[in-house]
Amino acid sequence: MASFVPTSEETLADQRLYTSDWLTSVSCQDCLAVVGVQKNSVHHTSIQWSAEALDACPEMGRPRELHAGCPRLRASIEQAVRAGDVPIGAGDGI
Amino acid sequence: MTAAAGARVLDRGLAPERYARGWHCAGLADTFRDGRPHAIETFGAKLVVWQPAGADPDTFGVLDGYCRHMGGDLTQGQVKGDEVACPFHDWRWGADGRCKQIPYARRVPLRARTQRYETVVRNGQLLFWHDPEGSAADHDLLPPELPGVGTDAYTEWFWETVEIEGSHCRELIDNVVDMAHFYYVHFAFPTSFRNVFEGTRATQFMESKGRPDKAADAGGYSDVDMVLRSEATYYGPAYMINWLEVDYKGFVTEVILINCHLPTGPDSFTLQYGITVKKPEGLDDKTTQYIAKRYAEMFGSGFLQDVHIWQNKAPVQNPLLCEEDGPVYQLRRWYEQFYVDVADIAPDMVARFEFEVDTTKANEFWHEEVAENLRRREAEGVAG
Repeated sequence: MASFVPTSEETLADQRLYTSDWLTSVSCQDCLAVVGVQKNSVHHTSIQWSAEALDACPEMGRPRELHAGCPRLRASIEQAVRAGDVPIGAGDGI
Repeated sequence: MTAAAGARVLDRGLAPERYARGWHCAGLADTFRDGRPHAIETFGAKLVVWQPAGADPDTFGVLDGYCRHMGGDLTQGQVKGDEVACPFHDWRWGADGRCKQIPYARRVPLRARTQRYETVVRNGQLLFWHDPEGSAADHDLLPPELPGVGTDAYTEWFWETVEIEGSHCRELIDNVVDMAHFYYVHFAFPTSFRNVFEGTRATQFMESKGRPDKAADAGGYSDVDMVLRSEATYYGPAYMINWLEVDYKGFVTEVILINCHLPTGPDSFTLQYGITVKKPEGLDDKTTQYIAKRYAEMFGSGFLQDVHIWQNKAPVQNPLLCEEDGPVYQLRRWYEQFYVDVADIAPDMVARFEFEVDTTKANEFWHEEVAENLRRREAEGVAG
């Protein structure tokens, strides 16, 4: 059952735009995790995990606080950004 | 209505057809320990809450408020022994939802069962489980116990209740990601901001400072001498624990704020918030109580700043975002899991998501705006 029901097709398109269209796949250099990354600016990062990526990451498999991220994944993302693989800024599309 | 070419249309959407699955807070447990039945308005219904006479202090009954016999209002009845008795014909209902006794009848009909809610007392508050699908309470999803709370190390809870009309409770949830409103609504600079959603939890980490152009009269978080470090987590749809470290001119206080709500209708809810303060070493009880009361007032006025916005805004399913905004769509996707059947929870509703907002740009602009406000005020002061 749908709950908060949008009344237009454009809203569904917005949902896709904001949650998935801007994600770039980044592979961790230390494990098999692949996550989606979005950078609205140099100082901003979004990381979209999947259940498979969490299972693959030894860091996230340990008992941990909710907020603790994976430092090796973070380093991999920074590397991908330096290599120009992750676009920075959402342009006018956001 | 026809929109002009290129004009964006607000999609108000349709309100959900059900209330969220999860743990909800009825209030401080002590409120219900007086041997009388109490009424709680929620989920478009009225519930009765009471403490069975012979029970241990943390056992409570929570049932639908209306007797299954002829619809008498159980909240206006009496507690008789372990049961709540209907004021109409004295039918006696037990905390397990079964009718235990009908004093004038030879036997109780086998079908005499009513809607009951499982309860837990946690951190001095009475929580109950709600699920439109009727599942057993999931104790793994309870908010954590707070070490030291309820002992002499912390003050008692300051507990407040505010009725909100004209907004769905999702407006309250949206605050988790709304970095910019802290500046405009609460008059504080967010200096760092981070969200993590995973499973049934959604967290906000924030550090903020007060705005010097607002301090005198604004209330909320605006005090310029105050630095806040805040970690706030929703445990399910309706119960948040907010750990706050308040640094006021170098004097650090640990504050715990509970922010919880009961949905009452499709566009109304009861907001509840509670404050407890860790008693600083070397301060007497009177001073500590004073500090706790001040913080309760401060965060209370912060909520009222939000309430004013909510009561006047339109619902919007398609918010238009800029690069500095928080992940509103992802948060709402997370929140949706509580409004669908468990079998229909999509993987992306519960997948881990991390978001760090760049506050650099926004803060450059805001600091300039504040400086301009201060310059203008000074000029006016000189002129006057």
